[in-house]
Amino acid sequence: MTQLREVDIAVVGAGPAGLAATLACGESGAATLLVDYMDAPGGQLIKQTHKFFGSERQFAGTRGIQIPAIFMERLSKMPNVALMWGANASGYYADSGVLTLEDGSKFVKVKAKRVIIATGAAEKPLAFENNDLPGVYGAGAVQTLMNVHGVKPGDRVLMVGSGNIGLIVSYQLIQAGVEVVALVEAAGCIGGYLVHAAKLRRAGVPILTSHTVVRALGEETVRGAVVAQVDQSWQVIPGSEREVACDVICLAVGLTPLVDMMWQAGCEMKYVPALGGHVPVRDENMRASNPAVYVAGDSGGVEEASSAMISGEIAGISAATSLGFEVKEADARLSRLKADLAAIRSGPTGEKICAGIKCATVCGGEW
Amino acid sequence: MAVREKTADGSIVICRCEDITLSEIRDLIAQGYHTIDEIKRVSRAGMGPCQGRTCRQLIARELAAALGVPIEQVEMPTFRPPSRPVLLSTIARGEADE
Amino acid sequence: MEIALYSHFAQGREDSGRPLGRLRPNVVRLKDHPILEFPTGREVEFTFNGKEIEGIEGEPIAAALHAAGVRILRHSPKLGRARGFFCAIGTCSSCLMTVDGVPNVRVCTEPLKQGMVVETQEGHGHLPID
Repeated sequence: MTQLREVDIAVVGAGPAGLAATLACGESGAATLLVDYMDAPGGQLIKQTHKFFGSERQFAGTRGIQIPAIFMERLSKMPNVALMWGANASGYYADSGVLTLEDGSKFVKVKAKRVIIATGAAEKPLAFENNDLPGVYGAGAVQTLMNVHGVKPGDRVLMVGSGNIGLIVSYQLIQAGVEVVALVEAAGCIGGYLVHAAKLRRAGVPILTSHTVVRALGEETVRGAVVAQVDQSWQVIPGSEREVACDVICLAVGLTPLVDMMWQAGCEMKYVPALGGHVPVRDENMRASNPAVYVAGDSGGVEEASSAMISGEIAGISAATSLGFEVKEADARLSRLKADLAAIRSGPTGEKICAGIKCATVCGGEW
Repeated sequence: MAVREKTADGSIVICRCEDITLSEIRDLIAQGYHTIDEIKRVSRAGMGPCQGRTCRQLIARELAAALGVPIEQVEMPTFRPPSRPVLLSTIARGEADE
Repeated sequence: MEIALYSHFAQGREDSGRPLGRLRPNVVRLKDHPILEFPTGREVEFTFNGKEIEGIEGEPIAAALHAAGVRILRHSPKLGRARGFFCAIGTCSSCLMTVDGVPNVRVCTEPLKQGMVVETQEGHGHLPID
């Protein structure tokens, strides 16, 4: 028989959004529980070796890998904040507000007055012949292998996708001594920041726009790939197929928010392509249609770590104040955070995100 | 079970957990299964260990293309806990030590 | 209501140290990385399909196998297709192997321990009957 533990606020996911949310909740005095299924906090930050842009508040100039420790330094000293690592949130039951956690041997039930879901996003798959061959890896997997475990993913990588992740991981591969034989992008232009693409060009990596991978070659592991040119309707142009020798095909074709728990919680959901897929509809303070549920970070829409930290803080402040906990200068902080978010989203690539966020926000910004 | 000598046979695998290929999905749609839920119940696509995280989006895309509707209109199946497989012994044990 | 630092979930793993992969006289392990420094961990032996392999205690089994040149982790249930890992963070379930007789272990997140018996999983695997 399991006990029912009780907390004020449970935060699911200890990536940048979850860490920021927990800090805000902890500062308010709320009894807060932060859980993550990995054995240590950080989410995607643990593989991010590049320096952050943006303002000082969003750790500009700091490398992603250094950020979890900065949060943990403060969180570990808060007596009202509990941390559970190696704990997978397997379900949320909206009628009772109960979160179930398991690690393959123990099973814990937590009753939370508010739940902040910061579960991040997952790699989008790509359908092509033999896409399931060993050696076809998501970009996140390649980054994890290299930057967290210090193991080379292979010797010759074909990168698929020219968004920031595809560009950055390609550069990280080169730093680790791996050859990037080519980068293919199905669209007619590069998706990510041109400053990253320029680094790759200088390193001699061919960037082939209007190209995609159509087949993975190899008996039981990747030994090569067939790439082909595509037209504006994503159709392969016959006769343009070329073989490329590689031992890893790295898919960096986008992320999609991990929102299972929002569906379980009965939240109103909307399909927003600019944000990566289905996301919960929310108000300006990150509250979902279910008043006990808040969303933060990539699981509310795929952006980046800086935006995740801001939306996490907004969700934390809102959840805490909704329970009557005092957050000093809450309104001023929220205004400043929303302004920071607008600034991050103000570049040319941010236009689509802004439109997507607007689509995912309830009319008038309030429930 | 016998291992195939050659697995690189040009298949496009949609559901990695249950080994459902793109041609199978297209067959099912042609047979009249027009929702992700129906396709799931008939083929087991989406019922494996990853609970549809990999295949759901690809099946949705196929349905949108086949039915000529925007992908926004493809109905999602019901999501129920647990989000990943759990041993019954884990649930039974609860928080007790060994 | 009491709040304490719950560590019983991660206890076993914390005990094993959980260090990151590191330089060894092996071309696949990264050396001289411009930014990252990989701390050392205890080297341990484990078996893969009966063959003895070395790895670093606490690193994911999949990383140790990859460093030893092993990329095929299982063959799928219906079609017998070779599979490796895909997401490497425990969400896609591509990397299921049989470890110490227990099937369906996600080796991309399962920490390596001394003496583990790791086998390529064929299909759904077989449950241990005790």
